[in-house]
Amino acid sequence: MGRVKIAKKSTFIDMTAMSDVTVLLLTFFMLTSTFLSKEPTTVITPPSVSTEKVQETNFVQVLVSPEGKVWLTMNNDTSSAWSNEKMRMALLDKVSEIYNESHKNQVKFTPAQKQTFAKLGSFGVPLAQMGEFLDLADQQEGQTKMDKWLSGEDENPNHVTGIPINWNSDEAKPNEFQMWMKALRQTENDNLAQAIKDGTGVAIKGDQNTSFDIIHMVMDNLQTIHMNKFTFLTALKAEE
Amino acid sequence: MAEIQEKSGGKQKKGAQKKMHIRVDFTPMVDMNMLLITFFMLCTTMIKSQTLTIALPSNEKVENQENMSQASADDAVTIIIDAKRKAGSFDVDSVNGKVVNEVYYYFGKPGGDAGMFGAGGTIITENNNLKKSSFDLNDKEGIRKIIQDRNKEVLTEINALKKKYQDGGFGSLETKDGREKAQEAYNAAAAEIRKNENLKKPVVIIKSTPQASFGSLVEVLDEMQINSISKYQIDNMTRADSVMLIDFQNAHHGN
Repeated sequence: MGRVKIAKKSTFIDMTAMSDVTVLLLTFFMLTSTFLSKEPTTVITPPSVSTEKVQETNFVQVLVSPEGKVWLTMNNDTSSAWSNEKMRMALLDKVSEIYNESHKNQVKFTPAQKQTFAKLGSFGVPLAQMGEFLDLADQQEGQTKMDKWLSGEDENPNHVTGIPINWNSDEAKPNEFQMWMKALRQTENDNLAQAIKDGTGVAIKGDQNTSFDIIHMVMDNLQTIHMNKFTFLTALKAEE
Repeated sequence: MAEIQEKSGGKQKKGAQKKMHIRVDFTPMVDMNMLLITFFMLCTTMIKSQTLTIALPSNEKVENQENMSQASADDAVTIIIDAKRKAGSFDVDSVNGKVVNEVYYYFGKPGGDAGMFGAGGTIITENNNLKKSSFDLNDKEGIRKIIQDRNKEVLTEINALKKKYQDGGFGSLETKDGREKAQEAYNAAAAEIRKNENLKKPVVIIKSTPQASFGSLVEVLDEMQINSISKYQIDNMTRADSVMLIDFQNAHHGN
């Protein structure tokens, strides 16, 4: 009996071409994409035929959750003289100034707290608790604790999530949301003030299933402090 | 990982240089790249959000009523968005769990020229001129058809302009540069038409009940853009609006 000889074949596959392709893909993804920013709540923006692109910088995003909670996110133009840190510190100073005009319990922030605020992404806690919130950064797992507080998963029932907002049409007695918006306009960052005036400076991001009541409240708040022009963030929908 | 193969076998001349095959195994490299790609795909976004610009009127009380520009009743179209109601609650879509929204409209003043309210604030239900509409594009009473019908004069001109653009009336569309220029000229001309005071244009007032969803509001705002409506406004519900809406829903209960 003759034995069938099986030819020995090398199983070596040349991966060079594959490697080339993956590196190309990687480069593509790295160059075209922007990182998702971490937000306290996930919303699905309503589809719209509007093709106006969102500005890259110089706008404030007002994130509105379906429950009516509000967070702010700054998108500062870092190429100008206003670095992110400088802008945020100026904002915090301004807002505490406005707050202290009308409140007995004055808020004051230490330089360390201001430093922490300057590094925040989204923020949304009442000013009275802001100090406590900012102090968390120095603790162990402070970042996680802060994120939990911001998204309302905190165990402490005293921690309030979201910037306090209510139906308020009295300009002389602004609520905290209005204080923040006013403070944004009053910092010496002229680019941002101009953008807010033009209507590109404030972008409301709400979920498509949020009831009109809540969006209306935010709109009404802005109207009260004479920010009559703003934008809604939407997702692209193809025109039929 | 990498191997250097010496060619074996065959006759080898003495003194001839040995031929080396150098092979590097790229498999781990590919593995790593794939991981990185996965990371970038999951952690990043490529779609940039779009924006919709909103301009609200100042809510300061205008003391001099004469200074207020009043929309003439003929041109006014009021659209009211509401959540579909069921006994005691709202109708929820069985598939996606969203609140179903409905849309209503009326022309001119609430209750027509006679108004909704009689002497002493009594409600005259016969004067209710509210009608039900829908977001359905093929519906004769659909919101798009109604707005298009009202904005006929502007839309005819815009469509003529569109045709001119497609036929190359604003310059050749062959090159990218030409397309951009033509688009610019087209946009300017379209803006001119929208501003033209001689054309009959509706003034659309968008109102929404607190229960309606934000998505529906954006949908209606979209219709304004699609149908080249130059004058539209988001406004609060008035008492007459609410009365008409409730009256209509009571009259058409179960539909």
